Amino acid sequence: MDLLPTDEQSEIAASVASIVADRQSADEAVTDALWSAASEQGWFGLGLAESAGGVGYGLAEETLVAFELGRACAPGPFVATMLAAHIAAAAGETELASTFISGAERAAWVELDGQGGLIFDGVEARFGVVMGRAPSVNTLDIGSATAAPSLDQLVPLHRVDDAGPAVARLSGADAEAILLRAEVLIAALCSGLAAGTTAQSVEYAKDRLQFNQPIGSFQGPKHRCADMAVRAEAAITQTRYAAVAVQTSRPDAAFHAHAARAVASGAAITNAQVNVQNHGGIGFTWEHTAHRYVTRSRIVGTWMGGRFDALASLLSQPPAA
Amino acid sequence: MNLDYSDVDLEFRDEARTWLAENLPTDARPPDGQPMREFDLAWQQTLFAGGWAGINWPKEFGGRGLTDIEQMIWYTEFARSEPPFTLNNSCTFVGNNHGGPTLMTCGTDEQKAFHLPKILGGEVVWCQGFSEPGAGSDLASLSCKAVVDGDELVVTGQKIWTSYAEVADFQELLVRTDPSAPKHKGISWVICEMTTPGIDVRPIQTMAHTTDFAEVFYDEVRIPLSNVVGDLNDGWRVAMSTLSFERGTAFMADQIELVAVVEELIEEARVRTGPDGKRPAIADDEIARRLATARAEVAALGAMTIAGISRNRTTEMPGPEGSMIRLFHGELHQRIYQLALDIIGSDAYVLTGIDGDGVWTGPYLQSFAYTIGGGTSDIQRNIVGERVLGLPRNK
Repeated sequence: MDLLPTDEQSEIAASVASIVADRQSADEAVTDALWSAASEQGWFGLGLAESAGGVGYGLAEETLVAFELGRACAPGPFVATMLAAHIAAAAGETELASTFISGAERAAWVELDGQGGLIFDGVEARFGVVMGRAPSVNTLDIGSATAAPSLDQLVPLHRVDDAGPAVARLSGADAEAILLRAEVLIAALCSGLAAGTTAQSVEYAKDRLQFNQPIGSFQGPKHRCADMAVRAEAAITQTRYAAVAVQTSRPDAAFHAHAARAVASGAAITNAQVNVQNHGGIGFTWEHTAHRYVTRSRIVGTWMGGRFDALASLLSQPPAA
Repeated sequence: MNLDYSDVDLEFRDEARTWLAENLPTDARPPDGQPMREFDLAWQQTLFAGGWAGINWPKEFGGRGLTDIEQMIWYTEFARSEPPFTLNNSCTFVGNNHGGPTLMTCGTDEQKAFHLPKILGGEVVWCQGFSEPGAGSDLASLSCKAVVDGDELVVTGQKIWTSYAEVADFQELLVRTDPSAPKHKGISWVICEMTTPGIDVRPIQTMAHTTDFAEVFYDEVRIPLSNVVGDLNDGWRVAMSTLSFERGTAFMADQIELVAVVEELIEEARVRTGPDGKRPAIADDEIARRLATARAEVAALGAMTIAGISRNRTTEMPGPEGSMIRLFHGELHQRIYQLALDIIGSDAYVLTGIDGDGVWTGPYLQSFAYTIGGGTSDIQRNIVGERVLGLPRNK
């Protein structure tokens, strides 16, 4: 019983952090160099068995990657491509899985609404993941999709009339497992976002002088920072618990995955909003990256129905074991 | 990262479950006074006889020498056994959860040998004497004075907000032993025997109708110097260790009990009529979301408790991260009872006690203490800000 990352896991997190560190201020979503580095580090097969062409770690390690992506507010279809590899592998589409694992193909995130589908991070993607009741990898023709102005400039947005034909689809226990995996990874992204804004606010509160002292010495900003830290800590800790629960197929895995997404999505959005306030005027500018956490958390935090869906799903579960 | 119990853990859990089923008291806990003291001590004695007192205390002090994980398992099993009282309200709380651990960390061999077995064995009740009328959040400004006279300290002054003072045998007492030193450097932490002449305990009734709260007056109370824990004038350091236990691990039982409280509340919301007067309360969107949020946050609190144990494994005392858990826990505890009163309809007009099954209004009133005692939420935020995040102190 231990909820802190092992030394090996901390090394994975550090190596991920080292290549995404400067991504929040980038002008383009994903450079080829970053995608190659991620592929070389094995992100897309991290949680797949070696027999399936993966690295042989599990969801706990994938969670570390997603957390670091969130913390750096790094854009790109990384988590969607990780999930696409899992769906393809579980559906027996070995060849398709290997193209995701190697990074040769990218998968966009697809959300369905009443008018069709919304494609996130689809610019370079020929596939999309759809996290419905029967989660699937679909082929995507981004050229025929309609580009829409995105709330988050680094997350390109397109509209399609339908989500395209499925090339790998899951049902039953496989479907449930991938949905929980997706929930935990979203929770990890959100936890990272919540931790990233906490770090920004704390750093600013130490540096910014007013009334001849750092604003972090005043209880207003100090207490907002403390609340941000607590929200981020609750989010990542519950997410880690959920990651292990899902990975080891505990009977209360769904309970904890829903709980993680509920806590983490709320933490990401709230912290991002408070972070702008903590920065005052500079926080309202385009130049500062505080707004990127606001728009990213509003996108990632509402995928798969967002906090309200996570809460409804959680309440329908039996008590945790 | 793993959630696996060892074979030893699992055996311990089964043993605890079986023992609790056979030994849990079924009668209600008396709300105050000597009957309450006798009830709480009898339970502590039963625990001790069964080997369930001081699970994570070293064997040399009568404990079982196991880890915080086993202590957590015990609290989990206790909460699941549907006990008629909550551990957090017990008058054995101070001795078990911060007086005892402070002696273990800072006491002399004689102090440990004399007091720790009595605490564990349910022979004595401890109370806390930290706050004063003029020293609350600014604890270090305390002025209750103690003058060295031969091999004794002579204490004159006042303490306040002392729970269970009337039924306590000993008190962890902070006194000013050097008024000329800077405020943090002239304090001593002493063990005060509550029967010493010159002590006057005056009860204070709380908003939750409990009467175990008190102010304590000291008129030339003579305490042997051998009762000083740590060195003379080193009391601030010792008090910080007391508070790190109080903020770090003392509320583990309550944190775990909240799981059962939320599940009980969800059941209430299924059977009680909701705000529309027709459907069950749980069919109301706002109530449903608040219940689900409580479930999610209690789960997160449990995970934070485990992570805290993981972190404390390598340290003698809980670190400042404990204040993050304490802050989250105190406010969550309050939100849960606030939600309860929104769910229980006309029962919210009826006062209950603070212990027992299906009681909500008493615990609701009591819940206001959770963001005040052991350092207010504002103080916890200062600690998180300054000691966890490294923000500067106010000049």
